[in-house]
Amino acid sequence: MSFVQNFPFFSIIIAMFSGILSSVLNGKQARNVSLGAIAVTTVMSGAVLWFCLGTGESYTYMMGHFPAPWGNEIRAGVLEGLTALIFGVVMLLSVIGGMRRIFLDVENGKINQFFILVDLMLSSLLALIYTNDLFTAYVFVEINTIAGCGLIMIRQKGHSFTAAIRYMIMSQLGSGLFLIGLSLLYDVTGHLLMSPAKETVAVIEASGSYEIPMLVILAVISVGLAIKSGLYPFHAWIPDTYGYATPAASAMLSGLVSKGYIFLLIKIFYRVLGRETVIASRIVNVLFLFGLAGMIMGSVHAILEKDTRRMIAYSSVAQIGYIYMGIGLGTQAGMVAAVFHMFTHSATKALLFISAAGLYEVSGGKKDYKSLRGAGYRNPLAGIGFAVGALSMVGFPMLSGFISKLLFATSALQSPHKMMLTLIGLAVSTVLNAVYFLRLVITLYTKRTEPAETEVSRSPWMLRGAVACFILLNLILGLGSQPIVKAIADGLAMFD
Amino acid sequence: MSRMLLCVPALLPIIGGVAILFAGQRNAVAERKLEFWVEGLTVLNSLILGWLIFGAGEGDSLVLFHLFGNLKVMFRLDGMGRVFAGLIGFLWPLAVLYSFEYMKEEERKSTFFAYYLMTYGVTAGIAMAGNLITMYLFYELLTLVTFPLVLYPMTREARQASRKYLYYSIGGAAFAFIGLVFVLSFSATGTTEFMPGGVLDLQAAEAGKNTLYLVFLLAFFGFGVKAALFPCHGWLPRATVAPTPVTALLHAVAVVKSGAFAVLRLTYYSFGTEFLRGSWAQWVMMGAAMVSIVYGSTMAVREAHWKRRLAYSTISNLSYILLGASMMSPLGLVAALSHMVFHGFMKIGSFFCAGAVMHQTGKQYIYELDGLGKRMPVTFGCLTIASLSLIGIPMFAGFISKWNIARAGFTCGMEAAGLGMGAAVSGMTAAAGPGIWRFLPFGAVAVLLYSALMTAVYMLTVLVRAYFPKLIREINENGNGKEEKMKKAETAACDPNWMMLVPLLIFSVIIIGFGVHSQPLMAFLTEIGGAAG
Amino acid sequence: MEGNVMLLLPVLFPIFMGILVLTGKGFRTNRRSLTGVVLASLAAGAVLTVLALLSGDGSLTLWQLTADTAVVFRADGISVLFAGLTAAMWLLVGIYSFSYMTHEKQESQFFGWYLVVLGVLIGLDFSANLITFYVFYELMTLTSLPLVLHERTKEAVMAGLKYLFYSVAGAFLALFGIFFLTTVSSGLTFTPGGVLNQSLLAGREGVFLTAIFCMLVGFGTKAGMFPLHGWLPTAHPVAPAPASAVLSGVITKSGVLAIIRVIYYIVGPDVIRGTWVQTGWMALSLATVFMGSMLAYKEPVLKKRLAYSTVSQVSYILFGLSLLEPTGFVGALAHVVFHSLIKNALFLAAGAVIFTTGWTRVEQMRGLGRIMPKMLVCYTAVSLGLVGIPPLSGFISKWYLAQGALSSGTGVWSWMGPVVLLLSALLTAGYLLPLTIQGFFPGADFDEHEIAARRLIGKEPSLVMLVPVALMAAATLLFGCFPGPLLRMLEGIAGAVI
Repeated sequence: MSFVQNFPFFSIIIAMFSGILSSVLNGKQARNVSLGAIAVTTVMSGAVLWFCLGTGESYTYMMGHFPAPWGNEIRAGVLEGLTALIFGVVMLLSVIGGMRRIFLDVENGKINQFFILVDLMLSSLLALIYTNDLFTAYVFVEINTIAGCGLIMIRQKGHSFTAAIRYMIMSQLGSGLFLIGLSLLYDVTGHLLMSPAKETVAVIEASGSYEIPMLVILAVISVGLAIKSGLYPFHAWIPDTYGYATPAASAMLSGLVSKGYIFLLIKIFYRVLGRETVIASRIVNVLFLFGLAGMIMGSVHAILEKDTRRMIAYSSVAQIGYIYMGIGLGTQAGMVAAVFHMFTHSATKALLFISAAGLYEVSGGKKDYKSLRGAGYRNPLAGIGFAVGALSMVGFPMLSGFISKLLFATSALQSPHKMMLTLIGLAVSTVLNAVYFLRLVITLYTKRTEPAETEVSRSPWMLRGAVACFILLNLILGLGSQPIVKAIADGLAMFD
Repeated sequence: MSRMLLCVPALLPIIGGVAILFAGQRNAVAERKLEFWVEGLTVLNSLILGWLIFGAGEGDSLVLFHLFGNLKVMFRLDGMGRVFAGLIGFLWPLAVLYSFEYMKEEERKSTFFAYYLMTYGVTAGIAMAGNLITMYLFYELLTLVTFPLVLYPMTREARQASRKYLYYSIGGAAFAFIGLVFVLSFSATGTTEFMPGGVLDLQAAEAGKNTLYLVFLLAFFGFGVKAALFPCHGWLPRATVAPTPVTALLHAVAVVKSGAFAVLRLTYYSFGTEFLRGSWAQWVMMGAAMVSIVYGSTMAVREAHWKRRLAYSTISNLSYILLGASMMSPLGLVAALSHMVFHGFMKIGSFFCAGAVMHQTGKQYIYELDGLGKRMPVTFGCLTIASLSLIGIPMFAGFISKWNIARAGFTCGMEAAGLGMGAAVSGMTAAAGPGIWRFLPFGAVAVLLYSALMTAVYMLTVLVRAYFPKLIREINENGNGKEEKMKKAETAACDPNWMMLVPLLIFSVIIIGFGVHSQPLMAFLTEIGGAAG
Repeated sequence: MEGNVMLLLPVLFPIFMGILVLTGKGFRTNRRSLTGVVLASLAAGAVLTVLALLSGDGSLTLWQLTADTAVVFRADGISVLFAGLTAAMWLLVGIYSFSYMTHEKQESQFFGWYLVVLGVLIGLDFSANLITFYVFYELMTLTSLPLVLHERTKEAVMAGLKYLFYSVAGAFLALFGIFFLTTVSSGLTFTPGGVLNQSLLAGREGVFLTAIFCMLVGFGTKAGMFPLHGWLPTAHPVAPAPASAVLSGVITKSGVLAIIRVIYYIVGPDVIRGTWVQTGWMALSLATVFMGSMLAYKEPVLKKRLAYSTVSQVSYILFGLSLLEPTGFVGALAHVVFHSLIKNALFLAAGAVIFTTGWTRVEQMRGLGRIMPKMLVCYTAVSLGLVGIPPLSGFISKWYLAQGALSSGTGVWSWMGPVVLLLSALLTAGYLLPLTIQGFFPGADFDEHEIAARRLIGKEPSLVMLVPVALMAAATLLFGCFPGPLLRMLEGIAGAVI
């Protein structure tokens, strides 16, 4: 067994321990520990990815060599490594980019708590990615929820409390449903580890018994995770949550947390319930329709929104819709597109939140359209960052959004019944995206007639560096997508 | 060597433009220096383009990088690309010259010229794109580099106009994207490379015929947005708030022609006429072009704002090109290409005249033009030539292209009627085309003539006003009864300086030149048409 | 460029002189040099035309416009007739204008455009194919526009625009046909009997006939044929009298020329004989004949009345052509000549009245015989000619028209035509002769003091104005008495085409 194979486990543990460690440190130290932890885990994820690409197969990792049903298993493959890597990068850049706002927004003595939550978030995300055990997954779902809630609440403004409570309630609903699904599954199969559970499911499937319970399990798990990731009709918590948290938190919540749940859902689809079962159950059609509705409605809400951060948040609703639409296509290609869009969206949305933060800084902290007029001149890099993010969301060639769009469209051609709907949906959604994103870009680059009332402060180098890196990330995803898409396809193949 | 040069005309102005943009942001660039660099780069680029057009770029292709899988960003200069590249390569330096004079009093010149330059590169990229994806890429880029030019005046009106422009263009591209995806998956070669006659795998396409027709139409309307096809034309008249060099070059030539060019590429080089001819998609396309012609020319008559009137005229004239394209025959392509070239000269000439008047007198509405014909003889002389050409008077270039469109229309109509020439083709189409559609091509010619009449109305009223000002009756009551005096409306104005006049004169010479001697160009176009139709 | 270069001279020379007059600064102030140059140019134009016509039946290819169409000139029988008529009329009316235009402004503008139009018209007459013809047809519209709106009043400009748009609309309607004809004919060179390619035509007669009808209506615009006749009564009253004269007398004939060229030289009369196109054409022309006379009869303004009269009379010609039959064809061509003479004379006379007295309405003109008896005599003579009283020339053409109609074998039309012509002749007498009657016999209650007070009695217009009119009247009489040579020539043409 190669030493690298221990990395998934190490990275989860490192993240957790750095959290524990941070509780006795002051803000600055906690920050350094946290950044270090994220950086180290990211490097480790990269190593895992490298290893898996080299061997060409995935492996499971028994903790303490205890076999099931006592032990706890971790599984790592190409897709896990890749996801962990990209999540790590995005998280690192989000925290760096939002650093100044963290120190401004969070009460002085509680800064180390913020970083504790970040560390917990990291560990739970990594666990969600790597786990091969359904109950572990549930545990970390809960940890994730608590961390997320804390991240929202820590700003301690009126709005953020209500937002946090909303988030809590919706999330608990989702978790609850997920737990019910899990219990039912355990009841039916007698397993919590994914691989044996899948075998049993296949046997049950073949015998033709438990048809309705299986359908219920599928539905409950899907809906539960859909609520947690904010699929359209269950999106009510998103705008408040993302809109009122500190930018780094918003970037992480919208860019990563919801994606973690989606990743888990995909993993359960493939590794527990079996892809064919899922497709046969027609639940994918429901997801497809909800996804499509989300694409359109999210954008419509975003157009109506005056507050730009809430607008970006609503845009997330639309983007989550894209991902679910890809899953809902029910084909391998659709799934690849969905996963790729997960990456696209986390890279792009974090970029948008961070560069938006840079733009508010030079506009007197105001977030409505009018105040942002001309901000692109006052903070050029943030302006460019926002423009790149917006164009990527609109699907401009050479940026990552275009590749997602292309993947969605080409995969749609393989499922004739959903083809036209998908294509038209994509086109309409592109137009709507253009309406609200480019409207804001135009505003950013329109000269303000009255003199600026606040003195223009240069953004910290950290923000500018983060924005530049995000732009780079977007370009890499847009121009060098070929190996990434191949890795996703390989990784998905390893799931079966 | 010449292979590598293929990417220069597209990239050089873009890089130059970005450089000017950054240089302009740090400190104001001296006017002389700016003019030197902009004109220098433009001329240099045109020279390289010209060198490539006349022989050097023959048959070469250059793959810049892979966007994704089979999606190469690739340049190649084939016959049709040469026509378009030649047109813009010729017009750009002249337009830049004109803009120096026009923009003399404006602020933020470096920004303006930076984007103006970048647009050159992007348009050249469209002309030289070797496959659909490259064209799509530059098509999107075109939206991005031109919208700051519309936004340039920064007024409320400009903001709204640029927003509208952006939405329309991006929306159009979104639908064109669907076409791209389908071409990619139904292509016989697995790529979207432009090939005369199309790349579709006909056997595979036959199965999903109607879907493909629908997709073709979506893409047609998508690209048609830039070509100001009704009902996607709304942005064009609004965009006239931009400075005249922008409206003239971009909204009469570069941008709108890119749309038309894209439609031609889509029809003749991607989907292929063999697949489309006689289908319901062809009739819808033709009908849309006809509606747009009628709409554009009628609205132009109603419009009193000069530049907006010309914009409506562009709407109708662009659809001439699309109408030619919709004939799906070699003749149709020849007609479309010839009108693309000629309309470029005529419309940019008209816009420059309007701009010259605005620059010299500040007059924007047609009812203000009384008597200017005598005061600005060169400007209005050139306008007269451009107008007569637009109307389609013989001996001017416009007649040649209309002649070709009409000929293509009749030939198409006869084939659709299943009579005469080309028995194989007609046999197929007669079976496919429902009865009433057979007469559509004839209707198309009728529409053409209606539009010619409207063109006469909206262009000649301008001229009549300018040359034959109404006399104002002035009645003096004095001792020995009424004394009636006729007086002319007086305005002090004169022709602009050489920087504005030289382009105008060159355009006029070209319009007449092509009008009386168009054969070499036509022979070249016929060669292209023969290969692609 | 190859062939008979003589054909080019009468086209280019007047155009060149016209541009010179338009742009030369000296002509704006120096009236003497203006009249000198214009007169010399007109005379030279006429001489060059005659020379070109005498130089034989050669043709001149200028250059290829598109791959299969060239700009070609040739002088055939029809060209001789029309070019000769145009040159002569232009000279006479030109002379008249030297006097008349003294009361208008910007004479150099008028004469400049006047010369340009002459060149264009000669070019139109010499055109050897439909494309060349169309080129000059459009040019004619554009260059004659300044003549119409010469006075630059609001009404004049609006009338000019109306003229322009009607003409352009007609031209484009015709262009539809031209476009179509290119696809079914072997070249568009004017050839007696037509150039249609029957094999190409087979099976698409429906569209073909529609196209031909479009051309008839389109070119009929210039000839003032219903339904696109509206520009005539608007344009004539506001234009200066010489302009109205040539507009009515010569330019409307170019519409006729166009129809002759299309029907007899491109399409061939046999193709449309007996089709709905012929029927429609006859119906339209007869309707126009009758309607024009009726409207003229009801019209109080003299120049407008004459304009309606033109509407009606030119449709006589069109009716003759629509019979597709030699006698009618001869009658039509003869009427081209006679109507041109008569209508020019009438307009010039009306212009003389305006010039001397400023009267425009017929009822103002009582006692005109006291003012300008000689002019009124000329007026009366040509009026009688138009009505068709022998031995004046109008009788000859109408006789041929009626004969042609009766022998055309077109069923009900062969007798209905002559009836309408007769009715219209009566109306013609009704709208032209009252001026003569009231002019010479104002009646007992006529108060002479009013005109005496303005010192108008015996104020005959100058010889410069009178002589051209008198010459035209004389020609009317002369052609009426000795129509032989002209008719033989026309019969020659008719024999070739039908």
